[in-house]
Amino acid sequence: MAIKLSKIINSWVPENSKVIDFGCGDGSLLKELFKNKQVLGYGVEINDTKIEKCIEKGIPVIKLDIDKGLNDFMSSNFDLSIMARSIQCLKNPDLALNRMLELSKRCVVTLPNLGYWRCRINLASGKMPITPELPSSWYETENIHLCTIKDFENLCLKENISIKDKVFINRNGNQGGLSKINPNLFAVEGVYLLEK
Amino acid sequence: MKTETKLIHFSEGIELESGKSLNSFDLMVETYGELNEDKSNAILLCHAFSGNHHAAGSSEDYGIGWWDQLVGPNKSIDTNKYFVVCCNNLGGCAGSSGPSSVDPSSQKIFGKSFPQVSVLDWVNSQKMLMDKLNIECWHFVAGGSLGGMQALQWSISYPDKVKKAGIFAAASKSSSQNIAMNEVARESIRKDENFHNGNYYEHNVIPKNGIKTARMLGHITYLSEEHMDSRFGRKFQDEDSKVEESVSFEVENYLQYKGEQFSELFDANSYILMTKVMDGYDAGKDKTLVEALKDVKSEFLIVGFYSDWLYPPERGKEIQIAAMDNNIRSSFVVLQGDHGHDSFLFNSKTYSNLITNFIES
Repeated sequence: MAIKLSKIINSWVPENSKVIDFGCGDGSLLKELFKNKQVLGYGVEINDTKIEKCIEKGIPVIKLDIDKGLNDFMSSNFDLSIMARSIQCLKNPDLALNRMLELSKRCVVTLPNLGYWRCRINLASGKMPITPELPSSWYETENIHLCTIKDFENLCLKENISIKDKVFINRNGNQGGLSKINPNLFAVEGVYLLEK
Repeated sequence: MKTETKLIHFSEGIELESGKSLNSFDLMVETYGELNEDKSNAILLCHAFSGNHHAAGSSEDYGIGWWDQLVGPNKSIDTNKYFVVCCNNLGGCAGSSGPSSVDPSSQKIFGKSFPQVSVLDWVNSQKMLMDKLNIECWHFVAGGSLGGMQALQWSISYPDKVKKAGIFAAASKSSSQNIAMNEVARESIRKDENFHNGNYYEHNVIPKNGIKTARMLGHITYLSEEHMDSRFGRKFQDEDSKVEESVSFEVENYLQYKGEQFSELFDANSYILMTKVMDGYDAGKDKTLVEALKDVKSEFLIVGFYSDWLYPPERGKEIQIAAMDNNIRSSFVVLQGDHGHDSFLFNSKTYSNLITNFIES
């Protein structure tokens, strides 16, 4: 996913910009962006093993619980913040979104789409969705705030966040096709470039 | 491990931050491993308050080195790959010039007349050592606590001479509470009847009780409440192994033992001087920390420990935020650490991996 994501957002990332990646994992995305765009990138991660991997790659990283610590870094002026597949795990996704747009000019958010048809079939049969993108049972999942593409865009509207660009990914990991025509039904994931 | 211990004389002397100077001075230095041909593998370790030049391995005089858990062949800081340098800081009492050494101009023990030094003075004296060892750039400068302050100051004072800095369980300045603790320690030394206003050498005595009390207080601040509870709890000390008759609990016995042991090894004037160095440090003095870090080129690895209440992780975070404001490639990681402030001395898988990965990346 990370390598594909770097391809999608490459054109959104200015050369030599200052980037912060919330939930950066092992730092692969920042490493790609460093290679392609010479960004100065900081990762934010809570898992020690992933942090070790970031350091191994030479990617600066901060150990932080995003739910608790976003305010601490308000003074830093970033060009771009990234939150890939993490926003649905936060206690207050709406607050986090606004904070990200205060500490950076633009932000990239990617999220799994609960409106995807397979999820809907699961729900119609009376069960919480389990799909390749959302593989965990309801009691194990970290995803406490799942939403559909429509829900997310409505939130942006409500918070006066403008969507500068968006890309939808279908079940094969590609863009286009049916996911372009009706993303809320056919996209497994939405990738957004946001600004306020 | 190839280890060399030597006393190096600096006949050129040094101007100190206070405006005073030393016409000449000595540094006790220990090195591990070998400098490679292009001199790119040198690492400087900066010791904390009561540490010394003996960082790794075992020596007759100082036992196991203070960072032996992390420094040595195939350890986190691998002496097979790196040439590791550590010196006893100016003002100390393990061989370098300090209050207990002889003033060359008067041929008398310095005592209280040894000038107050600072973190900046230490860094400047270590730079002179660096020149003497023909090292052009440190690959890594690291330390914990007061040692971390030196690593930070190195990157500020000599931006082209430090590639990477490891700042562990440290702060950019001491807090009011830190200063308060140190003042209680100093007061206990000064009020010892054998202190003689710092000139106890002439009376052939040492203010042992004062140093002991100071160290006992120090130990409480180095450990965490959790660690003390799990290690000692409310267990009573065996009658047979009591070091003092008055002792009831194991924790009392531990402090008595540690204090007693230390009081025979550490010089009282050095204790006072070292605590003053710690209190006096403020990387952002006369300006903000963000401004102070303006010219830094080093990469940072800042590590804090949750159980550390002397220099809690928030102090490290302050450095990280200032570093990010200056676009410094800086990482900040908080680890559990079971030993309170002392956690920086102990090996753990993550801590060790972080340091190794940082040096090697």
